[in-house]
Amino acid sequence: MLLPVFTLKLRHKISPRMVAIGRYDGTHPCLAAATQAGKVFIHNPHTRSQHFSASRVFQSPLESDVSLLNINQTVSCLGSGVLNPELGYDTLLVGTQTSLLAYDIYNNSDLFYREVSDGANAIVLGTLGDIAPPLAIIGGNCALQGFDHEGNDLFWTVTGDNVHSLALCDFDGDGKTELLVGSEDFDIRVFKEDEIVAEMTETEIVTSLCPMYGSRFGYALSNGTVGVYDKTARYWRIKSKNHAMSIHAFDINSDGVCELITGWSNGKVDARSDRTGEVIFKDNFSSAVAGVVEGDYRMDGHVQLICCSVDGEIRGYLPGTAEMKGNLLDTSVEQDLIRELSQKKQNLLLELRNYEESTKAELSSPLNEADGQKGIIPANTRLHTALSVNMGNDLQDAHAELGISTSNDTIIRAVLIFAEGIFVGESHVVHPSIHNLSSSLRVPITPPKDVPVDLHLKTFVGYRSSTQFHVFELTRQLPRFTMYALTSPDAASEPVSYVNFSVAERTQRMVTWLNQNFLLPEDSNVQNSPFHVCFTSLRNGGQLYIKMKQSGEITVNTDDIDLAGDIIQSIASFFAIEDLQVEADFPVYFEELRKVLVKVDEYHSVHQKLSADMADNSNLIRSLLVRAEDARLMRDMKTMKSRYMELYDLNKDLLNGYKIRCNNHTELLGNLKAVNQAIQRAGRLRVGKPKNQVISACRDAIRSNNINTLFRIMRVGTAPS
Amino acid sequence: MDLTLSRADYLQVGVTSQKTMKLLPTSRQRATQKVVVGDQDGVVICFGVKKGEAVPVFKTLPGQKISRLELGGAVNTPQEKIFIAAGSEIRGFTKRGKQFLSFETNLTESIKAMYISGSDLFLSASYIYNHYCDCKDQNYYLSGDKINDVICLPVEKLSRVTPVLACQDRVLRVLQGSDVMYEIEVPGPPTVLALHNGDGGDSGEGLLFGTSDGRLGLIQITTSKPIHKWEIRNDKKRGGILCVDSFDIMGDGVKDLLVGRDDGMVEVYSFENANEPVLRFDQMLSESVTSIQGGCVGKDGYDEIVLATYSGWVTGLTTEPTHKESGPGEELKLNQEMQNKISSLRSEIEHLQFKVLQERENYQQSSQSSQAKSTVPSFSINDKFTLNKEDASYSLVLEVRTAIDNVLIQSDVPIDLLDVDKNSAVVSFSSCDTESNDNFLLATYRCQANTTRLELKIRSIEGQYGTLQAYVTPRIQPKTCQVRQYHIKPLSLHQRTHFIDHDRPMNTLTLTGQFSFAEVHSWVVFCLPEVPEKPPAGECATFYFQNTFLDTQLECVYRKGEGVFKSDNISTISILKDVLSKEATKRKINLNISYEINEVSVKHTLKLIHPKLEYQLLLAKKVQLIDALKELQVHEGNTDFLTPEYRCILEEADHLQEEYKKQPAHLERLYGMITDLFIDKFKFKGTNVKTKVPMLLEILDSYDQNTLISFFDAA
Repeated sequence: MLLPVFTLKLRHKISPRMVAIGRYDGTHPCLAAATQAGKVFIHNPHTRSQHFSASRVFQSPLESDVSLLNINQTVSCLGSGVLNPELGYDTLLVGTQTSLLAYDIYNNSDLFYREVSDGANAIVLGTLGDIAPPLAIIGGNCALQGFDHEGNDLFWTVTGDNVHSLALCDFDGDGKTELLVGSEDFDIRVFKEDEIVAEMTETEIVTSLCPMYGSRFGYALSNGTVGVYDKTARYWRIKSKNHAMSIHAFDINSDGVCELITGWSNGKVDARSDRTGEVIFKDNFSSAVAGVVEGDYRMDGHVQLICCSVDGEIRGYLPGTAEMKGNLLDTSVEQDLIRELSQKKQNLLLELRNYEESTKAELSSPLNEADGQKGIIPANTRLHTALSVNMGNDLQDAHAELGISTSNDTIIRAVLIFAEGIFVGESHVVHPSIHNLSSSLRVPITPPKDVPVDLHLKTFVGYRSSTQFHVFELTRQLPRFTMYALTSPDAASEPVSYVNFSVAERTQRMVTWLNQNFLLPEDSNVQNSPFHVCFTSLRNGGQLYIKMKQSGEITVNTDDIDLAGDIIQSIASFFAIEDLQVEADFPVYFEELRKVLVKVDEYHSVHQKLSADMADNSNLIRSLLVRAEDARLMRDMKTMKSRYMELYDLNKDLLNGYKIRCNNHTELLGNLKAVNQAIQRAGRLRVGKPKNQVISACRDAIRSNNINTLFRIMRVGTAPS
Repeated sequence: MDLTLSRADYLQVGVTSQKTMKLLPTSRQRATQKVVVGDQDGVVICFGVKKGEAVPVFKTLPGQKISRLELGGAVNTPQEKIFIAAGSEIRGFTKRGKQFLSFETNLTESIKAMYISGSDLFLSASYIYNHYCDCKDQNYYLSGDKINDVICLPVEKLSRVTPVLACQDRVLRVLQGSDVMYEIEVPGPPTVLALHNGDGGDSGEGLLFGTSDGRLGLIQITTSKPIHKWEIRNDKKRGGILCVDSFDIMGDGVKDLLVGRDDGMVEVYSFENANEPVLRFDQMLSESVTSIQGGCVGKDGYDEIVLATYSGWVTGLTTEPTHKESGPGEELKLNQEMQNKISSLRSEIEHLQFKVLQERENYQQSSQSSQAKSTVPSFSINDKFTLNKEDASYSLVLEVRTAIDNVLIQSDVPIDLLDVDKNSAVVSFSSCDTESNDNFLLATYRCQANTTRLELKIRSIEGQYGTLQAYVTPRIQPKTCQVRQYHIKPLSLHQRTHFIDHDRPMNTLTLTGQFSFAEVHSWVVFCLPEVPEKPPAGECATFYFQNTFLDTQLECVYRKGEGVFKSDNISTISILKDVLSKEATKRKINLNISYEINEVSVKHTLKLIHPKLEYQLLLAKKVQLIDALKELQVHEGNTDFLTPEYRCILEEADHLQEEYKKQPAHLERLYGMITDLFIDKFKFKGTNVKTKVPMLLEILDSYDQNTLISFFDAA
């Protein structure tokens, strides 16, 4: 349904995910992409005679239509769009790990150049919520920043981990766009300006996001998954062995609804229905796809889908029209449909025959050895599953345990478990050796995160000599807090860190929440009054106390601030609480954070000193160079040699200084990430408006460098008013 | 001229075997022909196509699995009698479906291959060939390896009966009566034989063969020796050849060669001036092509290729254009036919779904009863586990008639699973508990929708042996899975051959003791692939093998009480010694093992390895340089300032990168084998040199052949 209309072969490599198209002169759409060695190329096929002649841009020696822009740093993200409405044409934005450049190609000038200490891994342009000017929003090391065309920082907030993808989407249907953030901690977060209004947890790094229609958006993960969400509900998801390099929304069949276009790492491009994920179109490049964009590249009034591969191949496609659909492809589609229906009919006939054979076997003699060979088992065979906590021993760490057993003398040959997020590669296999076969099996499970997981079990049941097995398919849910074992409360081991909040609920409902989210022994009977339970973490042995008074006041004691956040979010979700204020104190964690903040100041000082040192050395080098040349011209070889040796020593010092500066910067980044994550964690201890207030207040405190206020905000949840 | 074919699906029958579909001849030129096909449910169906719809002429009742279907008749008359082979029985039908023949042969195994020429009937079971004339026994031959196909050169041209057997040991055997006139070695295990041009060509002696590793060739079978005419290699790594036919689909007056492969590829080769085949058309189906015929089926006047697939599709690739240009009335009619077919299928499906729901409820009811038994639906798996000579890896192909849901791959021996481009399934590797449960590999493949065929690539390590198991779960209700087992032999990279170079320096391993011929044969079967299970006739056996990775050789000569193994690779002898000792101990047989080690063989093996190692190291270096050179090219515009060597690297950049990508871990594999060679050499001297392996690896990092050989000598 997409018609190929042009193919270009540029002799420049294209970096993945760094392709943008824009009308940089207001008229002609040009393709910009990052290429090797810190360069950005701009392909302008429209004005052959025109030449850029500027310090940043030079003509490519290989292609007459291509100009090269020297960034001299590794480009980490690229974008284009109207940033200054007064200009009326697109601006090119180039992000690196330390800076963001907004470049006006037409006028050969920078709109702004900003150093950004958190780096820029992803970029999106557009209007965010009620913020009036268009913003260039970048995501970096746990931080999100939005700049207007003058480089003013109009938007700033934190998120949970390194940002990998950004998109703007009207998530809640109010006519204003929200910011979608995909990060390294597998989360997709939705920011209504600086308020988080939704969080969806995926199973791998979210590498791409793109808005589709209304509140619908497409996403891609680093493990080859692509799918579509509508608000917080996932419409569909498919997984491939290749991974998606770029996703885009484009209407390929002129029916008014965009399809999800995916460019894959093996060079495939496909278009999928946004409702079902069904493949509607396919094409192949000979190397990985680098980016998928759209534009009227031939300037004939039609917008084309443009796909670029990492080898520099560019293809344009036009959508098929509605009338075209019936004529050209109708027969082929009908042929496919006939084949599919015939296949379905065959499958149904086969299933009917299977049932008939099964009925026949029921009437024959009782079970014997030969039956076992063929995979015949008693019809009333049942599979039992049980989840429990195993405290471990010398050989094995503590873990959750899934017990599987059959109800008779049949044996379990193997168990396949498919589950998102807890197994590397999404699946786990238990396959006992021939002498370990039995009718029961224990599977240790160690989820790395506290999230509820559906375990899809496929159990092969038969006999020892079987070559064919019955497959029992079950789905069993792992509770969210599986890795916590119920223990007896002991006041001596109660952690000093705590969170404290109130809910308007009875303790009975709290018990219900507990049963749904923890693996409690079957015989355990948690009493309502007083509500006081204690758990031990199977991961690190940490203690967790949960207490609730009749008044609805809940106290959670744990030294793990992440766990506290998880519990609060879980309780708020269970009780449908929209706003929850929490009082918290984590003395050990806060002390560590104080040290980190001191280190950040130190690193900043060292940074400034190192910069000054480098400037001094540069001046010295300049003067030494001049004096060495003077000596050479005056044929004073001894002095010249001595000057050049000094120059060599200084250069070595400069190199050493550069290495120290690099290390200092890396340390600084690590500590800044810790600070940002601390703000994120403080926010996660609250729900709704109090959450946003905490994040805003913490950010203000850091801006004004008021450390004591920062800690007070983290504890109490509000700034002093 | 170019060939454009469009696909038309006619009918779906049960699972089909190789060579089970034929087109009946017609008297009129280019008139539509009837299709006759037999499946593994034992059903023979004959149908014609009218207005795009398959109309049955006759259909038999289910019975035993049909393994071959042939057309026959008196010589020089239209061949329109239908013969099938099912089990050990031959049945004949007229073209209207009346059975006129039921011939119970005396074969003890199921018939695997069949050919008919006039009154002569040529049959083969696994190892046995029989020739009948008018259903009377004429000739008999016991083959040394499995017989995959049988054919007879045209008697109307040659005035003599010349049967040819395609045997798994890479040999075509030309028979005369019950004796072998001569043998022809072909490059791969032959799977299909056909007469060139359908009639043996001008001489009547032209024989086409296709192999399981995808090669195709033409040999002229004269009375005294073969004449090799041409051979097509399998450079594109396509599937094995299952069926071949000759038909003029190009319309140029010369018959073209139609080829069907087991990966679903359909190919058309035409013969131009040089009498060499040229590929003119190919199309990929998603499942094995078990039969292929050229003819006219869908509509008068339109030639087409008709093929049958493993899961039972009978499909045409027709020259009839899909979209008719003439007349709007015709166009509407075509669409109407399609619509009618779709509606009919939909209503059938609704009806079947209702019945299935009822049966499901009954099935659930029966699961309450303590007396009832629960069977699993039987399904057949078309599987193939073969060694690829080109890259010394194994291919495992699994094919099921319905879609595959998932496959579990388990191995108790260390192997690598490699990626296959054709494969679209999602692979997940599970952690293995090698200690307690003997799992070195646990991997699941979750197949995409409607995948009936899965292809895996496996790399084994010689010296490690065990069993690979595949648990195949199709999307069938009730849910079931079936296990298939494949043996990883100790010398898994060795391939049968019939000629070796006797001038190489050899190491010898000699076994003597009280063991029978069958016993020592079973040990050879255990250690090496491609050895037939059945002991060969006679008192003594000789087999030759070649290592597909290193090109070293192995000779096995054994009889009752004695076995002699010779190889120029000392590691091969070392592996054999270890495994044979273990097997003999297991059977409590007292074995005397003596060996004679030739020191020169180590240097010889290192020299064999040297070109491969040097090539890989050079390739790696060149690939490393490509990015930097490309950047220079971008910056400078032209490359005149570069040395010719570097310019050459730039020009071949794409090819070099592709080559590098094609052979992952090739270098590591070579290193591993050199290390094994080092350890094995000194093991025979009674020395443990494992502490010196790091030094060896250092030498390999900065490789120089003489330094390596010196290290082997000095250590």
